[in-house]
Amino acid sequence: MLLSLNIISELADIQGLSPDEIANRLVMSTAEIENIEYVNQHLNTVIAARIENVLPHPNADKLTLVDLDTGKDKVRVVCGAPNHKKGDIVPLASVGTKFTEEFTVKETKIRGEKSSGMLCSGKELGFSDDHSGLMILAPGTPLGIKLSELYKDWSDIRFEIENKTITHRPDLWGHVGFAREIAAIFSRKLKYIINFDIEKTFKHTDDLAVTIKDPKACFRYCGLVVKNIKIKESPDWLKAKVTAIGMRPISNIVDVTNYVMSELGEPMHAFDRKKLKGNEIIVRMATQGESFKTLDSQSHILTSDDIVIADKGGAIAMAGVMGGLDSEIDDSTTEIVLEAANFNPVLIRRTAGRFNLRTEAAVRFEKSLDPELCSAAIVRCYELIKQLIPEAEATTGIVDTYPAKPKKVEIKTTTDFIRKKIGDEITDNRIIEILTSLNFKITPSGKDLSIEVPSFRATGDVSIPDDIVEEVGRIFGYDNIKSKAPLVPCAPPDRNEKRLFERRIKSILVQDHHLTEVSNYSFVGEDLLNRIGINLDIQLRLRNPISREQDRLRRYLIPNILTNIEFNQKYFDSFRIFELGRVYIKDNRNSIELADENTRVAGASYAKEQEFPEFYIVKNIVTDLLNQLNIKNIKYAPAENDLPPYAHPARSMSISVDGNHAGIICEMHPRIMEKFGIKGGAALFDLDMDMLFISKKAGNEFTELQKYPDVPFEISVLAGKQQYVADISSIIEKISKEFIKSIDVISVYEGHPIPAGQKSVSFKIVFAAKDATLSPEQIDSLQKKVILAMDKSGFKLR
Amino acid sequence: MKNKLEEILKSAINSINSSNSIDELEETRIKVLGRKGELTTILRTLGQLSPEEKTVIGKRSNEIKAEIESALENRKDKLSDAKIEQLLTEDWIDVTLDHADQSKKFKRGHLHPISAIQYEVEDIFTSMGFQILDGPEVEKDYYNFEALNIPPYHPARDMQDTFWTEDGNLLRTHTSAIQVRGMEKIKPPFRVIGPGRVFRYEATDASHENTFYQVEGMMVDRTISIADLIYFMKTLLKEIFRREVKVRLRPGYFPFVEPGFELDINCLICGGKGCPVCKQSGWVELCPCGLVHPAVLRYGNIDPDEWSGFAFGLGLNRLVMMRYGITDIRHFLSGDIRFLEQF
Repeated sequence: MLLSLNIISELADIQGLSPDEIANRLVMSTAEIENIEYVNQHLNTVIAARIENVLPHPNADKLTLVDLDTGKDKVRVVCGAPNHKKGDIVPLASVGTKFTEEFTVKETKIRGEKSSGMLCSGKELGFSDDHSGLMILAPGTPLGIKLSELYKDWSDIRFEIENKTITHRPDLWGHVGFAREIAAIFSRKLKYIINFDIEKTFKHTDDLAVTIKDPKACFRYCGLVVKNIKIKESPDWLKAKVTAIGMRPISNIVDVTNYVMSELGEPMHAFDRKKLKGNEIIVRMATQGESFKTLDSQSHILTSDDIVIADKGGAIAMAGVMGGLDSEIDDSTTEIVLEAANFNPVLIRRTAGRFNLRTEAAVRFEKSLDPELCSAAIVRCYELIKQLIPEAEATTGIVDTYPAKPKKVEIKTTTDFIRKKIGDEITDNRIIEILTSLNFKITPSGKDLSIEVPSFRATGDVSIPDDIVEEVGRIFGYDNIKSKAPLVPCAPPDRNEKRLFERRIKSILVQDHHLTEVSNYSFVGEDLLNRIGINLDIQLRLRNPISREQDRLRRYLIPNILTNIEFNQKYFDSFRIFELGRVYIKDNRNSIELADENTRVAGASYAKEQEFPEFYIVKNIVTDLLNQLNIKNIKYAPAENDLPPYAHPARSMSISVDGNHAGIICEMHPRIMEKFGIKGGAALFDLDMDMLFISKKAGNEFTELQKYPDVPFEISVLAGKQQYVADISSIIEKISKEFIKSIDVISVYEGHPIPAGQKSVSFKIVFAAKDATLSPEQIDSLQKKVILAMDKSGFKLR
Repeated sequence: MKNKLEEILKSAINSINSSNSIDELEETRIKVLGRKGELTTILRTLGQLSPEEKTVIGKRSNEIKAEIESALENRKDKLSDAKIEQLLTEDWIDVTLDHADQSKKFKRGHLHPISAIQYEVEDIFTSMGFQILDGPEVEKDYYNFEALNIPPYHPARDMQDTFWTEDGNLLRTHTSAIQVRGMEKIKPPFRVIGPGRVFRYEATDASHENTFYQVEGMMVDRTISIADLIYFMKTLLKEIFRREVKVRLRPGYFPFVEPGFELDINCLICGGKGCPVCKQSGWVELCPCGLVHPAVLRYGNIDPDEWSGFAFGLGLNRLVMMRYGITDIRHFLSGDIRFLEQF
C-alpha cells in the first residue's frame, strides 16, 4: 500500500517531523516500509519563465529557439512544441533537473543550437496525459517560482508499505490508521475529519431500500442517493492525491470513491442510479451458474458461494470485489447510489481467489474491516462530492441496514500481566497512556484494567490480553526492552540420537574419506528419471510444481547425485561427494496419510582416469563407515540381479544389515555414463540411514591381549578368473572357528605362468588358540585340513 | 727402531688421509694396528730392548698408536659425513610439489556450509539446555497451519506460498510445524529446537529459493517474557559471529505468536551502510519470533494460564550468507563443488 505524507498531514499533526524519522519509527512500532519515494521531485527545479522571443531553428523546421526570462536570468532553449508564443509563462526544467534515473536535463546542443534547459508538457511534469504541447501557466505567475510551490499537491513523499506486515491490521489499510499510529508514537494530535452533521442537510425526497438476505454474508450495507451529479475531470488537488496513492485519475466521482477508500480504508462504490431497476438493493448469494459482467468487461459464471449486490433485474456488483459493467457510471450520469458496506471476509477472499480478482476492495474486505466505517465513509464521500459539485444533493438519508451490530470487545487484564510478558519495568501510567493514545478506553482499578477495544481494532485483531501486550510493547519500543537470562533449572537436555548418528556419518565421510557434502532439491522431474530409466511413475506429485524438472518428490537420492557428477566433471578431474537427506515413499498416492520419509546417505567417487576400478574406492569408504558405526550384522554380497538401472551388473554389491536390504555399492552402468556424458570412472553408494540407525550395534568391549603365539600359514591356490575370493575364504573359515584367528588375501595374480582364464590367490592364515600354544600336531592337522578343503573344492594348490 | 716407528706413523697417516672409503681405512688399520700389524709387531719386540730403550720406545709407540687411532677416527668421521652429504644431495626432492604423483595430491572433504552452521546452532542451544526435535518435511495442513492458529482462508496463508502434494498434504513452509508436534510429545517446562529443510512455492532468483533451511526454537516455562527471548537471540548471534552483533526487534505479524517480531541484524555485508543484500536498508531480516500465542499452546494441550513461551524461526541460509558474504542463495543447492570446497 502507498502512504502519502500529504494525505497524512491532513489527518495528523506531523509538523516538524522528517520523513525518515516517521518511517523509522513506523518500522519499529507498526509496519515495514519498503521504500520512501519523493513524488515529482523534479518540480523543485522546474521554474516559471516568460517567453521573450520565439525564433525559427536554422536547421530544423519543427524546432524553435525560445528565449526566456526566469526573473533572474535569460536562457535560450530549443523546443519542439507547437503551441507557445511570446509572452506565455511556461515551465522551464533547468539544467540538472532529474526526471527519472535515466533522464536528467543537461546543457546540450540540438541540431547545432545550444539549449540550456527543457520546456515541459503536462505529461512530462507528471500532471496529466497531455503531451500535445507545452503546459502554459496562468498569466501573472511570478517568474522564477518553483513549480513545487505552485503545485504543492503534486510534490509528495510516499511510503511503500510492505502489505504482508499489515495483514492482521484492517485499520492500517487506510491513511487514517497510519495517522493514528504516528500520532500515538510521537504524541501528536489526530485530526478528526468525519462530519456527521452534514447528514442534517440530506433531503428525504427519494426512496431507496436495502435488503440483506444473508446476515452472515453481509454485516452492514449503507446506501445514499445523490442527485444533480455532473461527471467531469477532478480538480488538480484530487488528481494529485489519487496519482500519489498509485491510481489513475478517471473522473470526479470515481476519484472521490477511490480517495475515500485510501483515506479511511473503506472500499466504496457508486452505481448509476438510472441504470438500476427499481428502488431496492438486495445483497444475496449468487445463484449457482449466474452470469455476471464486471466493469472490466469480463464475464464470469458465479457460484452460490459468491455474494452479489442485485436489483430486481439481477446482479449489479460482485460484492466487495468489483462493480458491474451495466450499472457503471459514465459521462452522462446524473444520479448515483453510493455504497459502503461490510462483507464476510472469508467469502470475499474466496470469491477474489476464484475469479483471480484481487482488487483493492477485496484485499481490504478480506482483512475484516470495521463495520462502523460504512456510514463514516458515506458522509466523507458526500462531503467531498459536495465540494466538487456544489449543486449535488443527497435525496435520501443514509439507508443503513445493519442486522447485527457487533458487541463491544472488552479485555480484562492487569498491568502486572503486561509487565510479566514484556519482562521490563513499565509504569502503570505509561501503559495507560500508550493504550489511550491508540484509542483504547481504559477503566483502571488499581492494577486491574478493563479495556474497551476501539471498533476499528475489534474485528479479530485485538481480542485477548496478549494482544494488549503487543500494543504496549510496540509503542514502548521493543528495542527498549533489556535482555534477561531466564531462571531455569540447569540440566543437560535429552540427546537426539538420530541427529548425532547423522553427524557421525557426515564426519566419517568428510574427515576420514574426504567426501564433499552436497545438498540437492527434494524434487525430481520425469526427464531426469527417464534418462536413468527408473521412471515407474510412482513418485508423489506436487499439485503446483514450479517447473517440469521439479514436479514430483524424490524416492531416491541417486538421480540428483548423477547430475552432480555430470556437472562437476567439467571442473574437476576427480572428486568424491555424498548427500544425506530424505526421500519420500508413498505407494498409495491417494490416501491422506503422510508419505514415509526415509533418510538415506548416498554418494559417488569419480575420476577421469583410473589406476584400478573406482568401485574399490567406494567399497572402502562404505565398509569403513559401517565398521566405524559398529553395525553388527552386515553382509556384503555380489549383486547381479534386481539392480537399479544405473548399476554396473558386473561391478555391484548389495549390503544387508540384520538380514534386510540396506544399500548398494556399484559402479555406474556404462550406458548411463554415456547418457550423462560422464567420461572416466564413477562408482556410487546408496545406504538406508534409518535402517543403519536402528540396526544392532556391536559392543565395544576390550579383548585381553593374546598370550599365546600366532602361527602364520601361507597358501596359494588356482581359481577361475571370475571366482569370488570371498567364497574361498569362507571355505577356509569353516575349517575351524576355534583356531583360525584371521584370513587375509595377500595377492591375486593373473598372467604368466598362470593358465589363461585362471588366477592365483594367496592367503595368509593365522592359527592361534586362546588358552594355549598350538602343538606341532595341531598345526599340522589344521594345515592339512586347509589343503584338503581347497583340493575338495577344486582349488589346486600352487 | 725409533726411525722405523716414525716411518710407520708417517706412512700410516699418509695412507689414512688418502683413504676414500671406510674399507680402505680398515685395511690400513689392520696393516698397522692389527694382530700382525706393523706397530703391533714392534710392540711385541719391546721385551728384547734395554730398560732405557724400552721406556723411550714404549712411550713413543703408545703415542704413535694413539695418534694413528685418532687419525683413523677422524678420517672415518669425515668419510661418513661425506657419504651422508652425498646421500642428502641425492635425496633432493621438490618440496614445492604436493605429491610425487600430482593426481594423488590430498583433497580434503567439505561439510556443506548449511550443515556446518546447523551443527553450530545445535551445539550452542544444546549447551543452553535445548533439546533437538524433528518433524516430517511433507506435513499435514494441521501442523503447518491450523494448529499454528492459521485456519483455512486466513489471509496469512498468502504470506507463505505453499507447495501442495497430490494427496492434499503440503511441504512444510516453516519449521514451526515442529512446534505442536513437539508439544504433543513433551510436557512443559521445555526448551527445544528443530532444525530442518523448508519449502516455499516461489520462483528462484539471487535472494529467493524454493528450498531452504531454518531452525525453529521454542521455550515454554512459567514466566517467559520478551526479555528472555531477546537474551537467547543475542547470545546465539554473539556465539555464531563471535562478536556483538547489532540487532533490532520490530513488530512482525505471525498468527502463531502474540506479540510477534521480526529480528533484524545489522547487515554484515555492508556494515549497515546499505547494499543490494539488505535492500539498501542496512538491516537484514533474520528471524521471525515472538511469544507463543495462547491458542497454539492450547493446540499443544498446554494451559496458557499456567505456561507461557517464546518461539523463533531462524533462517540458516541467511546466516551463512551473512557470515561469508554470499550474495546468491542459489549456490546452496547447486551441487557445485567450486562453491562447496570453499567451506
